[in-house]
Amino acid sequence: MQIKQLIEKIEGEAELDFTLSHGRVEDVTINFGFYRGIEEILVGKHLLDALVITPRVCGICNHAHLIASVRAIEDGYQKAGVEVALSPKAKGIREFTLSCELIQNHMKWFYLTILPQLERLVGAETGENYALKASYLSSTITKALALFAGQWPHSSYAVPGGVTCDPTYVEVMQAQSLLDETIRFFEEVVIGMPFECYLARDKALHLQEIAGDFGRLLGLMEREGMGEVGQSHDRFIVFGEEIFFRSGKSMATTVSGVDVRYVEEAIQQGSYAKAVSYKQRLYEVGPLARAMVAKEPMVKSLHKYYKDSLLTRIFSRVHEVVRLLDYSKTLLQNLRLDEPSATLPTLPKLDSLEGVGVVEAARGSLIHRTRVVEGHITQYDIIVPTQWNLSHGNALERGIAIEAMVGSETIEKASFIFKSFDICSVCTTQ
Amino acid sequence: MSIEKTDSSYDLLYRSFKERIAQLETLPKMDESNSIERAIEEKGFSRRDFMKWAGMMTAVLSLPSSFTPLMAEAIKVADRLPIVWLHMAECTGCSESLLRSAEPTIDSLIFDYISLEYHETLMAAAGWQAEQNLEGAIEKYKGRYILMVEGGIPTGNAGAYLTIGGHAKKGKDIAYEASEHAAAIFAIGTCSAFGGVQAAVPNPTGAVGLSEITHKPVINVPGCPPSEKNIVGTLLHYILYGTLPALDAYNRPKWAYRNRIHDLCERRGHFDAGEFVEQFGDAGAKEGYCLYKVGCKGPYTFNNCSKNKFNQGTSWPVQVGFGCMGCSEPDFWDTMGVVGEPLSEKLYNTTFSGMGADATADKIGVTLLSATVVGIAAHAVISTIKKPKE
Repeated sequence: MQIKQLIEKIEGEAELDFTLSHGRVEDVTINFGFYRGIEEILVGKHLLDALVITPRVCGICNHAHLIASVRAIEDGYQKAGVEVALSPKAKGIREFTLSCELIQNHMKWFYLTILPQLERLVGAETGENYALKASYLSSTITKALALFAGQWPHSSYAVPGGVTCDPTYVEVMQAQSLLDETIRFFEEVVIGMPFECYLARDKALHLQEIAGDFGRLLGLMEREGMGEVGQSHDRFIVFGEEIFFRSGKSMATTVSGVDVRYVEEAIQQGSYAKAVSYKQRLYEVGPLARAMVAKEPMVKSLHKYYKDSLLTRIFSRVHEVVRLLDYSKTLLQNLRLDEPSATLPTLPKLDSLEGVGVVEAARGSLIHRTRVVEGHITQYDIIVPTQWNLSHGNALERGIAIEAMVGSETIEKASFIFKSFDICSVCTTQ
Repeated sequence: MSIEKTDSSYDLLYRSFKERIAQLETLPKMDESNSIERAIEEKGFSRRDFMKWAGMMTAVLSLPSSFTPLMAEAIKVADRLPIVWLHMAECTGCSESLLRSAEPTIDSLIFDYISLEYHETLMAAAGWQAEQNLEGAIEKYKGRYILMVEGGIPTGNAGAYLTIGGHAKKGKDIAYEASEHAAAIFAIGTCSAFGGVQAAVPNPTGAVGLSEITHKPVINVPGCPPSEKNIVGTLLHYILYGTLPALDAYNRPKWAYRNRIHDLCERRGHFDAGEFVEQFGDAGAKEGYCLYKVGCKGPYTFNNCSKNKFNQGTSWPVQVGFGCMGCSEPDFWDTMGVVGEPLSEKLYNTTFSGMGADATADKIGVTLLSATVVGIAAHAVISTIKKPKE
């Protein structure tokens, strides 16, 4: 039996075509009916124009696109022999703003997508308007982001060699207070326990101690046996090196190095989204992948019991918020404002360059590749995290999200698993 | 009433607003069991918060402060005007701007409450149900609803680059039909107003602004993203006046887009004094000098960013030393061009593959402004000669 299902609220929509047999999902095809052609538009533009154009790919992870595009240019300069050394301040500011973006994304996903949908799925609706909690958290943390980046969405403050902002202690204090407010709200409402207590835990066994909305979510998921479903290939990949993320790939119990040169894109039939693979194999990207590659103790211990299940995947994303909030505090404390913001006194007038920029965006590794000839872009590739998770698959195996959905008893459950990957339609198809 | 005491020239306007509100009040509410006032109270906002917000919106719409109580009245009847919000080819950044909107969260709350018979990112319904909601809303509120559209309309390949819903209906058809029966149409964001980023050369999907596909008047609220105050302000303006606001040549409300960024810029003093940032990260950048020479497009861009700022008034691109990108102007991707370079340089030695300055000015559409451009550029050059940086 074939059933078409529309998935909304993923920054656009996707169409899933389910094949069912014997009351279970046997196969799924994922299609996006949306295309803008951003890569085509970049061709012929000045190399720096990518800094303003690429953030407009996505209203949620625009800042990550900005960082990826600025890094692609910096990488190109470096390969051409121009030294690009960021000051610790510029690096710290970029990391802080990236953390803020990740936090707002994860919390919006949690409150606008996962929690209400899970409640509906298992018939445990509270009728609460979670949109307000999402809005409060994300507006507070994006204010902290905007203090350094000017605005969010579509920040433009990162330039090759650093950042354009020159914050004073007033801005840093404001950012600290906004961060503290986010943490307070998070402690009281999301996890229902003090931050330090949460971070002191390192075993999945302590999961029941978590209270608040996150505790409620975990309780419902455990009750419904969601640690047993939604498993995929259990292979993870991370390319970015920042914050506490480390690059590498994780298979079974081993973590090994990766090289972004082996990332390949391929056109897929019937969809505006391209497939992406690493040495012809498919990998999952995102918070779960980041935790697995960095061997984060709490996620690792959960993974030991539940593998790459729905429970582990959803847990990892919220868990990452706690760690990001904690890390951001340290970042702000360590900012030395007397250091230079931008270190390239004059932008080199290079006619031709080729560069790759990698960043850990909210949904996983984001890669930009730029090729510039005579000052103008001749080719630009944007490889977004959702492409990794939603590739159709190949002759050998199914795509990551498809494998996770196969075997589900109902289409509703399968759709919920789909959303646990935190899908972004506008990024995927651009 | 204090109004008589202050300025009698506003009397007529005040009375017409009062009448308009009274008129709207007679219309049925979307949800009889609730009211915006109550919803705001329930979320923990005091009367004081609410009045503060109303006062701010009054100022945003350039009305005297004596209109504040009317503004509060106006928003209370907003639930008589259902809003249909459509997503076309876009990045969802405009909804993000609205979701972010909170000073206090009254703006977002209002939208959360009144509208959104159909708003994909926020609404509870999904899939087939959502599609029915849209059709239902259009039918039920025919001629009464306000249509807000986010995103450009792809018209290339017969509109196949954007299909929505279970019947894979084309975006342009949905937008056209929704426009037909709307009481007022607002294009939210540069994409919906002018086509946006996807309309940049070579415009692979043939994206256009909403006004290109409907014969009805469209009020453009451009910006990438537009400020939340301009979105909410446009709605309030409609509630109060019941007519289209005064518009500029690009159908932008004059109350918001009357002035250039340059006119109201916080760094304007430095421009006048000939103090410029010459390179990102230099001593001038630390001093907060004018960003014209590192590519600020403020002199050619009409918007009120310096007043409203973003993220509830936290900051804006000029404040963080990057400068204006010109994002609320038509086709800014192609016409405003190179990041980090003043627009005037493009007119002198164009980067537009071999076209001369005149051809550029003509083709790229800055003819109107080029006199100013030359003036500003000349000022920038002279100031360097007069005040050499060591």
